[in-house]
Amino acid sequence: MNKHPNKIYASPILIFLGFAALIYINLQVSLDRVNFYVIGVLSVVAINIILTVSLNLINGITGQLSIGHAGFMAIGAYTTALFSIHLGTPIYFNLLVSGIAAGFVGFLIGLPTLRLRGDYLAIATLGFGEIIRVILQNLRFTGGAAGLGGIDWVDNFYLTQFMAIVVVIVVWRIGASAPGRAMVAIREDETAAETVGINTTKFKVMAFALGSFGAGIAGSLFAHRMTYIAPDGFTFMKSIEVLVMLVLGGLGSITGAIFSATLLTVLPEFLRFIDEWRMIIYPALLVTVMIFRSQGLFGTMELDFARVKSILKKVAPENLGPEKGKSNPPMQKIKALGFDSQEQKPILETKDLSISFGGLKAVKNLDMQITQGSLHGLIGPNGAGKTTVFNMLTGVHLPSSGEILFNGQRIDGNSPYSVAQAGIARTFQNIRLFKDLTVLDNVKVAFHLHADYGLGTAVARPPKFGAAERRITSEAKELLEIFKLGDHCMTIARNLPYGAQRRLEIVRALAVSPKLLLLDEPAAGMNVLETEKLMELIHWVRDEFDLTIFLIEHDMSLVMKLCQTISVLDYGMKIFEGTPEQVRKDPRVIEAYLGEEVS
Amino acid sequence: MQPVFGFALFAVFVALIVVLARNKKRFPANPISSFFFGFIIVLLAIGAANYFMVAISANRLYFWQQTIYGVSLGSVYALIALGYTMVYGIVRLINFAHGEIYMIGAYAGFFGVTSLGFPFYFALIFAMLTAALAGVIVERIAYKPLRKAPRLAVLITAIGMSLLLQNVGQKIFGSIPRSFPRQFTGLYRIGEINLDQSRVIVFAVTFLLMVALQYFVTFTKPGKAMRAVSQDRDAAQMVGVNVDRTISLTFFVGSLLAGAAGILVAIVFPQIRPTMGLMPGLKAFVAAVIGGIGIIPGAVLGGLIIGVSENLVTAYISSSWRDAIAFGLLILILLVKPSGILGRNTREKV
Amino acid sequence: MLKVTDLHVYYGGIHAIKGISLSVKEGQIVSLIGANGAGKSTCLNTICNLVNNSKGKISFLDRDITSAPPHKIVKLGVAQVPEGRKVFPQMTVAENLDMGAYVRKDKSGVRHDMGKVYKLFPRLLERKNQLAGTLSGGEQQMLAIGRGLMAKPRILLLDEPSMGLAPLLVREIFSIIREINSLGTTILLVEQNANMALSIANYAYVLETGRIVLEGEAKVLAADEKVKAAYLGG
Repeated sequence: MNKHPNKIYASPILIFLGFAALIYINLQVSLDRVNFYVIGVLSVVAINIILTVSLNLINGITGQLSIGHAGFMAIGAYTTALFSIHLGTPIYFNLLVSGIAAGFVGFLIGLPTLRLRGDYLAIATLGFGEIIRVILQNLRFTGGAAGLGGIDWVDNFYLTQFMAIVVVIVVWRIGASAPGRAMVAIREDETAAETVGINTTKFKVMAFALGSFGAGIAGSLFAHRMTYIAPDGFTFMKSIEVLVMLVLGGLGSITGAIFSATLLTVLPEFLRFIDEWRMIIYPALLVTVMIFRSQGLFGTMELDFARVKSILKKVAPENLGPEKGKSNPPMQKIKALGFDSQEQKPILETKDLSISFGGLKAVKNLDMQITQGSLHGLIGPNGAGKTTVFNMLTGVHLPSSGEILFNGQRIDGNSPYSVAQAGIARTFQNIRLFKDLTVLDNVKVAFHLHADYGLGTAVARPPKFGAAERRITSEAKELLEIFKLGDHCMTIARNLPYGAQRRLEIVRALAVSPKLLLLDEPAAGMNVLETEKLMELIHWVRDEFDLTIFLIEHDMSLVMKLCQTISVLDYGMKIFEGTPEQVRKDPRVIEAYLGEEVS
Repeated sequence: MQPVFGFALFAVFVALIVVLARNKKRFPANPISSFFFGFIIVLLAIGAANYFMVAISANRLYFWQQTIYGVSLGSVYALIALGYTMVYGIVRLINFAHGEIYMIGAYAGFFGVTSLGFPFYFALIFAMLTAALAGVIVERIAYKPLRKAPRLAVLITAIGMSLLLQNVGQKIFGSIPRSFPRQFTGLYRIGEINLDQSRVIVFAVTFLLMVALQYFVTFTKPGKAMRAVSQDRDAAQMVGVNVDRTISLTFFVGSLLAGAAGILVAIVFPQIRPTMGLMPGLKAFVAAVIGGIGIIPGAVLGGLIIGVSENLVTAYISSSWRDAIAFGLLILILLVKPSGILGRNTREKV
Repeated sequence: MLKVTDLHVYYGGIHAIKGISLSVKEGQIVSLIGANGAGKSTCLNTICNLVNNSKGKISFLDRDITSAPPHKIVKLGVAQVPEGRKVFPQMTVAENLDMGAYVRKDKSGVRHDMGKVYKLFPRLLERKNQLAGTLSGGEQQMLAIGRGLMAKPRILLLDEPSMGLAPLLVREIFSIIREINSLGTTILLVEQNANMALSIANYAYVLETGRIVLEGEAKVLAADEKVKAAYLGG
């Protein structure tokens, strides 16, 4: 149980060592044993730690590639400069204002930009970073290219250190909370995150604004230390420097970020004696590290004692016990939604639903009703448009025309997270777990709707936080226990056996507490025995959780035995609907799907 | 005041586009808001056009002169952008070191003309080949081992290579700028417009290279293999394309063009220095994105758009705003059509 | 002519294929059937060495091709028609076919074969200059098969040719597969539509969760009660 890659927790020994080093340094400084130059370097180390750790929130934890961090630092620095020069405000005030200014600009920029993914987002942030610099260069009140001088010099060595520690703790705490888990989920699989009800835009913008806030604070401290700032201190290269510190340490790892920010600030100072080679060695080192250890020095791991031990022991990645059978799950009740199941009203209804991709109509004029509490099957040849139907129902694809009604409410056009919040959960044909998270975290992410606390609580951690977290953990464990995954809580999802991954995906969907569960080929890749067990499981889930289940399946034996109603899709059109018996006999279905009798 | 006014207008325009783009899903459903926004956009467009028309009509000739300069600058951006776009198309990598390949081309041209005493066109070919060699070496050393690594790792490696080449350049060539000897001093006049010989040559060479590239990619076997790999790597393997070799070839051809851009830029702006690759490299990349990354005509279009708009901004507003226009256009395009002007929208498979 | 011995494949942490052995004799149509996710496509991809993480031995015409690079395998005469067609969307139909002949150097032979493909699929001739991405699903499938044939393969590996096609088209495609076979190309066919596959194959293997659970003459399998129940919709 030494594998907790995304679990962010502090190891006592590491904290102890860190504090010992801090105390030693501060003692030396306070006794005037350290010269001004070294204090300067140490302050820059702290500022770089703030920058790197705050960027880690955006790039590492939330997985949104931003390469314009220097722009936000610039906003912080200039805010401080302007306040200090014109109003002579004290540093504490400036810190706050600078953070808010940078965070606000981050929010404004993040809102439209974070719709973009991957490289495109990176380029957009690069563009914004450069534009901020060019604007500063051209405005008269920011001093143009010459910059601003005469900022109050404050001996902020201690304050800088303190702020670095605060930023580290804040990011650390966010990482280990429900909002943090939502962010990590976005990094792992944005689509899957949306389908468990995470408002991805909200959390991305939140991470972006907070990260920018941190950069603003760093800029403010920088301005007070340097007393003079100019636009060319905040170029693209500065952004890259921070990014490199982050990536070298390992994206997502806070200890890694601290370590490499320190290393990359201090190392060049030591390399001064070979000054002319310094700028060659530095990038060469970077390239070498990337080639031989592309996940960064620490990966997404946090350095702690247990981990060091596990590396030394070389624990095999797959040491799972035998998979247990899952027949006859305990009749334990988790959640009753309490509706009248005798009523035969449709929970889900589609009217004239169509979608086309690049001129090709993938689904044509689909009319369908799913009765509340029923087990409804959707079959059809590969490529008939079944998964496309699911994608429309869950808001992943926007239908070209037609309506989708869930409990009588129109949900077409809603984004996936709000569909999930309304009560539709799903699994995916090709299993989309958060592969690098533990089994437990996979479920806890989906419980995020149950976390009735916000970011402030996550950072301040009043008793309420602990209670909420304990509740989420115990609920998640309980659910896992029911599905015989209790022993695997700390296993990384990707290391689970195939069948267990499928079950975990169902558990994750159930954690959203849905009213309608969509299963996309749950039996794919299972043998006859596993399939049979799965059938029992699905039946049991439906009864126990008072669900309606709508499933796509190829395994005819499963569909025929399990479902009350089956719709047959072919070539994007519903060609038949009825009971398994009717489906089996219908000539159209036989022709399209089951095939003619072999002569 | 005028420039600020123009930019304020531009900013409001961008903001509105942002709002529109965000509401795309439900926007048409609401006739009142669509009318409202449409109205404001038309007003703004008229305002912006008016502002520029006033500026232009004051000196029509100047406008055309600057536009032509912009085209020749843009064609250099286009040459660099082609390398970015080809490499991105085939390995999905933003090759940050590409700007340094362009720098290497400029220096190779410089030494070709000065130390080796080559005639210009010979030096051009020398520069292209040197740059191409450098490009392939970079690919082999830094990118090939990372073919299955996370994309971000490769991106960081590219940034590292960029820095490394820049600093090695400083070490070898010295950080003091060198003056590229003047090659073409002629001046043509068409009507009242002046055309320097050097700019004409830049444009002509660029044009020829693009025609050659188009021919190469469309009709030759290796060119077809390149297109095949960029469209579907698995399928390309299945028909027997050697993917590794094709990727190296792509770096070779892209760097060839960057090398040409390096020496061509030096005959118009004769100052060359080891850090010269950074900004043009970034802007060329922006050009590739604006046109639609991975699409060859898109890179040319994007390059020309950036070149012309940069020159016009310099001429009518101020040269210090020059760097903002490329990135401003970039963001505008990304928000409205992330896949670029000529790009196709792709959708994620779920 | 194609022989796979004790093949294991690991795929994203999953033991996807657990010791498969199969052989294809010259001139036959051999079919590999099984449910989604049983490992059929992985098996084909491993033969072409598009998937690396494998153990076992694959030989073609008595040559060990287990670790040969994919483009060499194509040169030896193994062409694959991939699942989901995978045509080059931004190339015209003619260019796609031309790409199929990438490993060949005999220009006149290529032209001759292109004629043959057009004869086999007249629809492709009509759409010769159309971009492949704009073709319908069925046309893309024809193009993918045509492209595979252009390599002049000794053996053609077909991965789910019926996927997403209307019944009528499926029948058309299968009759063409039979025709291709009668013209002398050996075929290894991976199919989910077991009925169709068994109707044209000589020999078949049934794959389930990475293992071969049943094999035999296609006619015998088609009559097998278990197969009927599990794959033919009983």
